[in-house]
Amino acid sequence: MTQTDLIDRYLNAVKLWLPRKQQKDILAELAEDLHSQIEERESALGHPLEEAELVDLLKRRGSPMRVASGYIPEHRLINPAMLPMYWMVLKIVLIWVLAPMFALIFIAPLFNSQSPGKGLVAFFVTAFQSLFFVIGIVTTVFALLDRYHSKWVDRWDPRKLPGAPRTHQQMQWYNDFSGFAFGVAAAVFWALTMWHRSAFVFNGGFRIILTPIWGQIYWLVIALTLARAFVDLYCFARPAWSPARAWVRLALDALKVAIALVLLRVTSWVVIAGADLSPAETAKILAWLNATIQVTLICAAVIMLFDWFRQGRLLWRAKKGRSTPILTVS
Amino acid sequence: MHTNGANSEQFENLRLELRRGCLAVAVLVQLRTELYGYAIRKALSDQGLAIDENTLYPLLRRLESQGLLVSQWREEDKRNKRFYRLSPVGEEVLTSLLAEWRQMNSALERILAVPAGQKMQEQTQ
Repeated sequence: MTQTDLIDRYLNAVKLWLPRKQQKDILAELAEDLHSQIEERESALGHPLEEAELVDLLKRRGSPMRVASGYIPEHRLINPAMLPMYWMVLKIVLIWVLAPMFALIFIAPLFNSQSPGKGLVAFFVTAFQSLFFVIGIVTTVFALLDRYHSKWVDRWDPRKLPGAPRTHQQMQWYNDFSGFAFGVAAAVFWALTMWHRSAFVFNGGFRIILTPIWGQIYWLVIALTLARAFVDLYCFARPAWSPARAWVRLALDALKVAIALVLLRVTSWVVIAGADLSPAETAKILAWLNATIQVTLICAAVIMLFDWFRQGRLLWRAKKGRSTPILTVS
Repeated sequence: MHTNGANSEQFENLRLELRRGCLAVAVLVQLRTELYGYAIRKALSDQGLAIDENTLYPLLRRLESQGLLVSQWREEDKRNKRFYRLSPVGEEVLTSLLAEWRQMNSALERILAVPAGQKMQEQTQ
């Protein structure tokens, strides 16, 4: 291969990666530099460069893509100053929103599926689609922020920064965010599962029929769960304790306890039908189902009462000035 | 100066960072006299500052697009060459850059001149 052939091949390969408008100019300069280098080398060696020597010279110069990359202006998708926030949002969305969604919404159909193999494939397809969709959305939002509002990173005031949590309250943000994530997931799960639902139908015609009480509390449960989730989100974003927040949480928890108590006053939450069971077996299953619901409701009420007590205690202590209230109340 | 093992990558990164600004200043200084790319490289190399061609040409292009250099194609020794020189704006910027560099250099020299132990003592007093 002649010297000209090799140089032309090299320059042509560099050209492929160069910005179109500058190709001619850059290549002319590059060719001139190569010829100067070859001339110098030939005069040092005292003979025209052989093919192997020219190949060596070009190799030392660098691969065409690397050479071209120097001329390409640096592009960035996201402002480096926003990267920590980008990673944090991505982690939060993936761990606290997408993971519970997979657990609650996508895995559930696996157990009902007639064909577990197909169900598993469908799960992975949906999981990957959702994953890439979420990553794409978060990245696009940050890229747009960088494109149109990059200066907001520098618009800040130390007085408007969220209060710093004290050492023993470092984990409060974690509680707040998990409260928000699970609250939203629970509300979505409840909304999807109970929407216009009067019965759960199983294989073989077995049905668990819901009594009207569930329909009566449908919207109330969604409203309360979402309200509490967004209070948690607010506390996560601005982790500074205030009596008003504690009162809001107290009120929401009190309403939830009230719902649990109303439900507990009902003696039968479900009835069963359509099963090919003897009356004794039907009564046994029904008693077991209702007992399970009762125990669940009691547990939920106890947990909510415990939380209610904590909020009340903090308020009381803050009022008495006996100790600094924790910055966020979960 | 070279370091070994795990530190070599860190050293290389820091060395590149350190060189980046210095090279731009060196090129601007060199182009107070009109030169073409290969000649700039030779001139810098002869003075002990070797610069890779893949660094030099994009740098020249960037400095020109920033208005610090001007260039023109001209024939010399039967070959077309692109000659660069400092623009009036480049001259102004270079003066400021050199002042900044001298200030940093003298500060670094002062820092290096004080032994570490003595510095600690001064801080505690």
